[in-house]
Amino acid sequence: MDLIESYKEDLRLIRRFGTGFWIVLLLIGLILLPWFAREYWVYVVTLIFIYSIGIQGQNILIGYTGQISFGQAGFLAIGAFTYGHLSLLGSPILVNLFFSGLMAGIFGILVGFPSLRLKGPYLAIVTLGFGIAVYQVFVNSEILSGGRMGLTIQKLQPLFGLSQMTTYYYFNFILVFLFTLLSYNLISSFVGRAFIAIRDNDIAAEAMGVSLTRYKLLSFAISSFYTGVQGGLYALLMGYLEPNMFTFLETITIFVAVIIGGLASVEGSILGAAFVVMVPQVFSNTKAFIPVIYGVTILIILIFEPLGLSGRWMKIRLYLRMWPFR
Amino acid sequence: MKVQQGWIGFLVVCFLLIPVFGNTAVVGVTDTEVWVGITTPLSGPAALWGATGQGAKAWADYVNDQGGVHGRKIKVILKDDGYNPARAVANLNEMKGKIFVVNALLGTAVVNACKDFFFDNKIPLIDAYGDVRIWAKYPKDKLKYIFVSYPDYEDEARYLANYSMKNMGSKKMAIFYQNDDYGKMGLEGIKMVVSASQGKAQLAAAVPYEVTERALSTHALKLKESGADTVYLYTTMSHAALILKEMAKVGYRPKTMVSFPMGDPVMFKVAGEVWEGVYPAGAGQVGVPGEKVMDRVADILIKYDPSLKGKEYLAVFGAVSMMTLAEGLKNAGKNLTQDSLIKGMEMIKNWKPEGIGAGMTFSPTRHHGVNGSRLLHAEKGTHVPISEYVIHKPLF
Repeated sequence: MDLIESYKEDLRLIRRFGTGFWIVLLLIGLILLPWFAREYWVYVVTLIFIYSIGIQGQNILIGYTGQISFGQAGFLAIGAFTYGHLSLLGSPILVNLFFSGLMAGIFGILVGFPSLRLKGPYLAIVTLGFGIAVYQVFVNSEILSGGRMGLTIQKLQPLFGLSQMTTYYYFNFILVFLFTLLSYNLISSFVGRAFIAIRDNDIAAEAMGVSLTRYKLLSFAISSFYTGVQGGLYALLMGYLEPNMFTFLETITIFVAVIIGGLASVEGSILGAAFVVMVPQVFSNTKAFIPVIYGVTILIILIFEPLGLSGRWMKIRLYLRMWPFR
Repeated sequence: MKVQQGWIGFLVVCFLLIPVFGNTAVVGVTDTEVWVGITTPLSGPAALWGATGQGAKAWADYVNDQGGVHGRKIKVILKDDGYNPARAVANLNEMKGKIFVVNALLGTAVVNACKDFFFDNKIPLIDAYGDVRIWAKYPKDKLKYIFVSYPDYEDEARYLANYSMKNMGSKKMAIFYQNDDYGKMGLEGIKMVVSASQGKAQLAAAVPYEVTERALSTHALKLKESGADTVYLYTTMSHAALILKEMAKVGYRPKTMVSFPMGDPVMFKVAGEVWEGVYPAGAGQVGVPGEKVMDRVADILIKYDPSLKGKEYLAVFGAVSMMTLAEGLKNAGKNLTQDSLIKGMEMIKNWKPEGIGAGMTFSPTRHHGVNGSRLLHAEKGTHVPISEYVIHKPLF
C-alpha cells in the first residue's frame, strides 16, 4: 500500500500521521467505552479481546507461516486447564497466564514436529488428531479436568473502584494491546520474514538459509503460546472449566475467524474475532436460524471478499485516501 | 448552521435524560408488565432441549391471556446461547437492565458460568436444568436469589439401583454412561448402592461412551459379556436407542433402567420396539405425557406454539418453571420487588403446578424445591408410572 524506501521505514508501525490519528482515536474510544456503553457491550468487547489474542496466534501459524492447523481447541484447553490448576494453587494471575501460554507452547512444539514432514491436508489431519486427543485426555482424566464437577476458578476481583466487568475489560485490553504490538513487531522482524518465506516457498526459503526446522517449530510454539493465553483468559472470565467447553467447535470458530478476518493480517485477526463473537450474539434473537445466518455470512464474505474483512478494510482505506478521485 | 447544531445538542441531551426520568423503581417491572429473561440452546448440539425455553414462553403467553399476574403481563425475552457458556453470560448481560428475573437456565457448564450473575446483580433465577450440586457447593448467603427444582442424578441412580435390587432381584449390575458429569454421577450413585449392599449386588461393568460416538456394537458386547441382569443407562436419547438396538442384535435383553431425560414416551419413536419394557425414571417436578394433567398443559402449549408438537415432555418441563415463577409472582403481591418475589417463592409449600409432579416446597432455608424420582414402565407406546414419587433430601 505504501512506498517503503528503507528497512527502518518498514519497521515503523505507524507510517502516516492520518493512520496514527485514527489509531489514537480508536484507542481513546476503547479506553472510554466502559464509561458510556452498557455492561453487555463491555462484556462482548472483552470476549473479542480474548479471542483476538488466540486468533492472532493462529494467524501467525496459518496466515504467515502457511501451516494448516486444526488443533486450536487442544491448545486452548491446555492453556485454560493450566491456568485453572495454577489458580487453585493460589499463584498470581499473570504468572498463571504466562504458564498457560508456555504449556500450550511446549505442546505446540511437539505438534510442530510432524509439520517438518507433512504439508497441507496431511498436517491438518495430524493437528486435528491432536485436538481430539487432548479433549479425550481431559474427559477421561479427573485429575486434569477437575472431575465431574469441573474446575471452579477464582474470578478477577474488582480493582480501583471499578466494577468487575470493567476490571476484566481493562485487564484484557492491556493484554490484547501488548499482544498486538508483539504480533506487529514479530511479523516485521527477521522471524516474521522467515515465516513468510516458508509460506511462500519453503524450498526457496531453505536455500536462502532459513532453517525450516527452527522456524516451523517456532511458529507452532508462538501460535500455541498465544492460544494458550487465550485459554487462560477465557478460564479467568468464565470462572469455570470443563472439557466440553473445548470441543472441535472451538477449533472451527478460531479457524473461521482467521479466514474471515483475513490471512496474514494482524488487524484481520481482530476483525475476525469480532465477527465470530458478535454474529451469534447480534442474531441470537433469530433462534434456530443462527447457524444458517452464520454460514451464509461466511459464504458471502468469502465470495465477495476473498481477502477477508482485512481485505475490505484495506480497500476502504485506499478509497478514503484517494477520495474524491478513484 | 448554528441553529441546527443547537437542535441536535438539545435532542442529544433529551435522549440522554430519558433513562434518568424514565427509570422505574424496580428494573423490569411496571404496573402492567414484568420482564423475564430466558437464555437457552435454540441452535447447536443441544437445540432440542431449547423446547424447555419455548415451553416456558408459551405458558407465559397463556398466563397473559388469563389476565397475567396481579394485572401484569409476563413478557419473555428468549435468547439463544447455542449451549455455549460464554454466549449465555453475554445474553444475561444483554438482558440486564431490562429483566426482573431469569427463568429456565439450561446446561451444567452454562449454569456454572452464569451462577454469580444472579447474586451480583440481585436478579432472581427461577429454575435451572443442570447439575444441582453446583448450588449445594455454593455459598449459602448467595443462594438467596436461586430457586431450583431439578433432581440430582446421583440420588436418582441410587434410587433406581435400590429399587431394582429390592423389587426386581437385580444382583449383577452394569451401567452404560456418557463420559461427562451427568454420566459419572449416575455411575457414582450405582457404585454407592453396590458398596452398601454388602455383597448382595455387584457392578459387573461400567462402560463409558463419548457423546460424539455413534458405533456402539463393541459397547453392547462388553455389556453382554459382563452377564449383568440389569443395565442402567445414563445417556442421551439417541445413545439409549442406539445401545438398546445393538444389545438386541447380539441377543442381550436385560432389565433396563434409564435416567429421567429419557422419561419422554417419544423414545418409542426414537428407539422403536426395543424400548418396550424399559424402566425410565421420572423427575419429581414433572409428570409424564399420557397423564391427564400433563396432556392438558401440553395441549395449551401447542396451541400457543405449534412447533412444540412432538416435544411435549420438554415443553412441559419448561412450562413448569414458568408456572413456578408465576406462583412466586402471585405470592409476592401487587408490590413487586426482588425481595417480595423471593418471599413469595419461599411461601410455596407442597405445591403441584397444575397438579403436576410430586409437589415442591421452598423456604428461607430451602431453595431446592423438589429432588424427587419415581419409576415408569414403557408399555405399548406410553410410560406408565409404577411407583409413587420418592423424595430425596433437598441439597440446598
